[in-house]
Amino acid sequence: MVRFLIKRILTAVLTLTAVSIVAFLMFFALPADPVTGMCPKNCNTERLERVRDELGLNDPKPEQYVNYMKGIFVGRDLGSAQGGQCDAPCLGYSYVNSEAVSDTFARVLPVTLSIVIPAAVIWLVLGVGLGMVSALRKGTVLDRLSVGFSLTGASLQLYFVGAVLQLVFVYTLHILPTPGYTSIFDDPLKWASGLVLAWWSLAFLFSAIYTRLSRAQMLETLSEDFVRTARAKGLAKGKVYGRHALRAAITPMVTIAGLDLGSALGGTVITETTFGIRGLGRTAVDAVRLGDLPTIMATVLISAFFIVLANIVVDLLYAAIDPRVRLG
Amino acid sequence: MPGATKGGTFTILRETQISHLDPQRVYSFAGLMAAPLYARYLTTWKDDGKGKLTLVGDLAETPGTNVNNDCKVWEFKIKDGLKFEDGRPITSKEIAYGIARSFNPDLTGGPTYIQEWLADTAQYDTAWNFKANKGSLPPGLTTPDDKTLRFEFKKAHCDLPFAASLPATAPLPPDKDTGVNVDNQPFASGPYKITKLTPGVEVVLERNDQWDPKTDPVRHQYPDKFVWSFGTTPDAQANRMIADNGPDQSAVAFNTVPASLISRVLGDAALKSRSLLSPTPSANRLTINTQRVTDLKVRQALNYAIDRDGLIKALGGEAVASPLTTLLPPATLGYEKSDVYPAGPNGNPDKAKELLGGKEVPLVLAVRDDDLNQRLGTQLKNNLEKAGFKITVKTTPADSYLDDVKSKNNAWDIYLDSWAADWPSGAAVLPVLFDGRGIKAAGNSNTSYMNNDAINAEFDRVLAMDPAAQAPEWAKLDKKIMEEVAPAVPLYVDVSFNLYGSKAGGLFIESIFGNVSFVNAYAKQ
Amino acid sequence: MSLSPIDEAALTEGPQAPGDAVPEAAAKEFVGRSPGQLAWARLRRDRTAMISGVTVVLFLVIALAAPLIERLYGVGPYQQFQGQLDGAGMPLGYAGGISGEHWFGLEPQLGRDIFIRLVYGIRTSLLIAFVAAVITAGTGVVLGVVAGYLGGWVDAVIGWIIDFTLALPYLIFALAVVPTAALRFYGPRDNPPDWFKMTVIIGIFAAFGWTATARLVRGQVISLREREFVEAARASGAGLLHMAFRQLLPNIWAPILVSFSLALPAYITSEAALSFLGVGMVDPTPDFGAMIFKSIDFMQTDPAYLFFPGVAIFVLVFAFNLFGDALRDALDPKSSR
Repeated sequence: MVRFLIKRILTAVLTLTAVSIVAFLMFFALPADPVTGMCPKNCNTERLERVRDELGLNDPKPEQYVNYMKGIFVGRDLGSAQGGQCDAPCLGYSYVNSEAVSDTFARVLPVTLSIVIPAAVIWLVLGVGLGMVSALRKGTVLDRLSVGFSLTGASLQLYFVGAVLQLVFVYTLHILPTPGYTSIFDDPLKWASGLVLAWWSLAFLFSAIYTRLSRAQMLETLSEDFVRTARAKGLAKGKVYGRHALRAAITPMVTIAGLDLGSALGGTVITETTFGIRGLGRTAVDAVRLGDLPTIMATVLISAFFIVLANIVVDLLYAAIDPRVRLG
Repeated sequence: MPGATKGGTFTILRETQISHLDPQRVYSFAGLMAAPLYARYLTTWKDDGKGKLTLVGDLAETPGTNVNNDCKVWEFKIKDGLKFEDGRPITSKEIAYGIARSFNPDLTGGPTYIQEWLADTAQYDTAWNFKANKGSLPPGLTTPDDKTLRFEFKKAHCDLPFAASLPATAPLPPDKDTGVNVDNQPFASGPYKITKLTPGVEVVLERNDQWDPKTDPVRHQYPDKFVWSFGTTPDAQANRMIADNGPDQSAVAFNTVPASLISRVLGDAALKSRSLLSPTPSANRLTINTQRVTDLKVRQALNYAIDRDGLIKALGGEAVASPLTTLLPPATLGYEKSDVYPAGPNGNPDKAKELLGGKEVPLVLAVRDDDLNQRLGTQLKNNLEKAGFKITVKTTPADSYLDDVKSKNNAWDIYLDSWAADWPSGAAVLPVLFDGRGIKAAGNSNTSYMNNDAINAEFDRVLAMDPAAQAPEWAKLDKKIMEEVAPAVPLYVDVSFNLYGSKAGGLFIESIFGNVSFVNAYAKQ
Repeated sequence: MSLSPIDEAALTEGPQAPGDAVPEAAAKEFVGRSPGQLAWARLRRDRTAMISGVTVVLFLVIALAAPLIERLYGVGPYQQFQGQLDGAGMPLGYAGGISGEHWFGLEPQLGRDIFIRLVYGIRTSLLIAFVAAVITAGTGVVLGVVAGYLGGWVDAVIGWIIDFTLALPYLIFALAVVPTAALRFYGPRDNPPDWFKMTVIIGIFAAFGWTATARLVRGQVISLREREFVEAARASGAGLLHMAFRQLLPNIWAPILVSFSLALPAYITSEAALSFLGVGMVDPTPDFGAMIFKSIDFMQTDPAYLFFPGVAIFVLVFAFNLFGDALRDALDPKSSR
């Protein structure tokens, strides 16, 4: 177990390093020059060149990369134009937002987590619930309805569903406020009412997979010997389904849930754009548009971190749920 | 303000945050509209909201004295009773320090007129090193006493009173200068002070009790609080204003109504009564690169060919853009309407073909790669090809577009360009855009790259005149440039179309930058 | 919206051990019908499969016949009818300007015909999705077979590359790469043709979309690796190519086909999502995603503009998904039904 964990973490570090190098090479080769964006009307080349020098943008690329990584682990001095000393984990200074990138992320990360985590809970419960129901009532109208519902969800576009939901609930019926983010610690009710549409639209689209999967798994499990044995031994229906069948059916779903969660955290771009909420995704898109390199780098690294983390957690959970899986 | 009531919270919705709040760095439209709430300048514009503008003293008693009548020496007398938010008096020293710190190369983003005029070079930050001379003032700037600020330039700069109306002349005590961090906590001299600032989320301004209304010609202190709230898309802003619920009733959408919702607002009298609709001084033109398109006939043919009506439809209609046939926008002092190439609202393709002499002229049109500009590219291509041109639409990344257009040797023939002058004088438009003597390798505002000796001489002649006498001359020069050079096709001016809630009052579109002004704003109680 | 262009989950759901099901079922049949024929027979009996299949074919025909449709309809995808717009750029008349001349009405602002743009839009979207699906399936199969069959360090390296690819946020890369790709290949005065923009988008999908197929195939190959017929072939000295194409692939084509059919709608959706972020196909090229993205803004003022492209993309993706599901059932009789 411990050996497995160490091995897993080492690969993860390797992956993250590779991601950081690739991202650095790609984005720092962009044609956009962060410096020209800093003076809108009357800039002259000599002055720009000096600013570029001061920001270290003229240093060799490997040196820039090393400085950047050093900042993350031990912090570094960015010079007076970029707010001076930047403590670890220093993700650089955004020329566009005129603040340290870590401050930006301290602000936008809770937003994205507030969208994704509740949505994931809804889509798992909804998806698995519908799947189980349709497996247990196989061939009935209920089965068809839930399969149809899940396929419809899988075939719709988030921005379409989101726009329709907003039009109906916010702008026509006035039941909900305009989607937006309030901290859960400030006002939990406002937090929920501002995000509920985003949760449900994400859940509607994502749950489809779980419905189909849990239905298939459940059907297969139900036909297996140990379930029949348990039934024959006289165990109550609820207990058999609850304890044995569900447990077996849920295992493969953990894998997918982990991956989905990781990728959803890394890129809620479309959800955030649709609902006009400013989280990790929107920040990333704007950063790319405006050539805000330090913010782009940080977004790539943070989302990669989440995906890698989710993978490790999935492996561990897998072992916890399914005793047949041996780690090592 | 008749009918204005005190109290309440006034909310301003905007999509993105304001790029800089530090007065020495403010230059974006939102910043220019926000700054008067917390900062005061040497001079400022009194705007009646109907287009009538008067330049008045703000911190200064008058908009400056032209000491020798040669525009080289200027003096400003500072008013009595001015205070910072902590009660300290504002003197000429703090105003001078504010100007001095705009030489700091770390503080990018702000206007550079006064620095360049004082240093008499575009390399002003090497001519006078702020960081090495913190205790002193840049060359030419002096404070003979606490109540006097004096500028001495090497060359004549008759526009100084105008340039002094930008937020960069706001005062700051040296001990409050935290470099780039002033952006997060500007030190207030205006009627409000910043009490809470969450980057990307909101800026909260509350009353500054040290501000004395008797000293201020334009600002008021009606609401208890102003809140700039960021992160709402223009669509959501418009929808919230339409819904008019709760706190949104005393709010305004700072971004203009998106084109897709315009017909809804215009079609509803109740909504229309809660909107501001006004053309702005932002003039958009199809710039012709005269280095590449050397034939005057081709440039004239472009002017005859343009279908302004169709272009405005593609933009979203009359509530987005208003047609323009001159290089100067109508908001310029002394503006005179003219149309050198009359071709009707849809253009005259036959006249254009005639000028082209039956040849098919290939041109490369560069547009940004965003949705709107790609649409305009499609529109212009179809439009101009009807008049005998062969257009290649070259889409190019939006973030590098301006850098490319401003480079002398750019590869394109025509491109979309716009100019919003910093003050409503022809002097801030025509010489900036069409004087060819200052053309550099990059960073040009003269994107037509025209360099015409006769026209250059005209610029010199008019610029040397008394500022009041210049106005009609600029209008004549506008016509002359269009007739003799035709370096661009004037297209349209932007129209501001903003919705506000039923309890918001005192709003108007100010005439310098064409955005919603808050100096008179109040929340109805 | 998942970051990966095709959803991992859609694929893992494939038949668990096709080696078990299909060949044995075939072997028991004396008539000598191939597994393919069996599956086809099952598919023919499935009403949903047939309806969705016909719908898919219909869309394919429309896409292929677009120029012919244009000629019959008499209006081109780039033609503007701004004379039929009002002062705010909105179509005159009812329901977005629907008329005998413009069956689905006109676009606001530019005033182009929606019907003919939709027809060409289907062509663009299907082409991108199809080529991307073929490439990712190919890459995924090759890498999956290699990793699964050779095992050891090869497997470890490919596994790591998969993890690495999954960890890269693909949308951010798409945002950065698409606008700049043209700068590298075309001069400042040439606008890249449509096929180049399509190639870039397909390239993005190809770079990020192969992981799911690779994982699936690797798993399948591992389960086959130790079986007698594979061991027999190996003992008789068969090379890697022979093993891959003659022994392994024939036994796992069913899940690959299913994953391919489900990847198609996933790519259509992803391409639309790229347009939504402004990096998909752009004006003036007619494209599904771009049409929907633009029309959403007009939901309140011109619902007809949203209705037609919205319904068309939904029907297309829904039909593909239904058909993919039915295909899986037909290929693997043991699953769900």
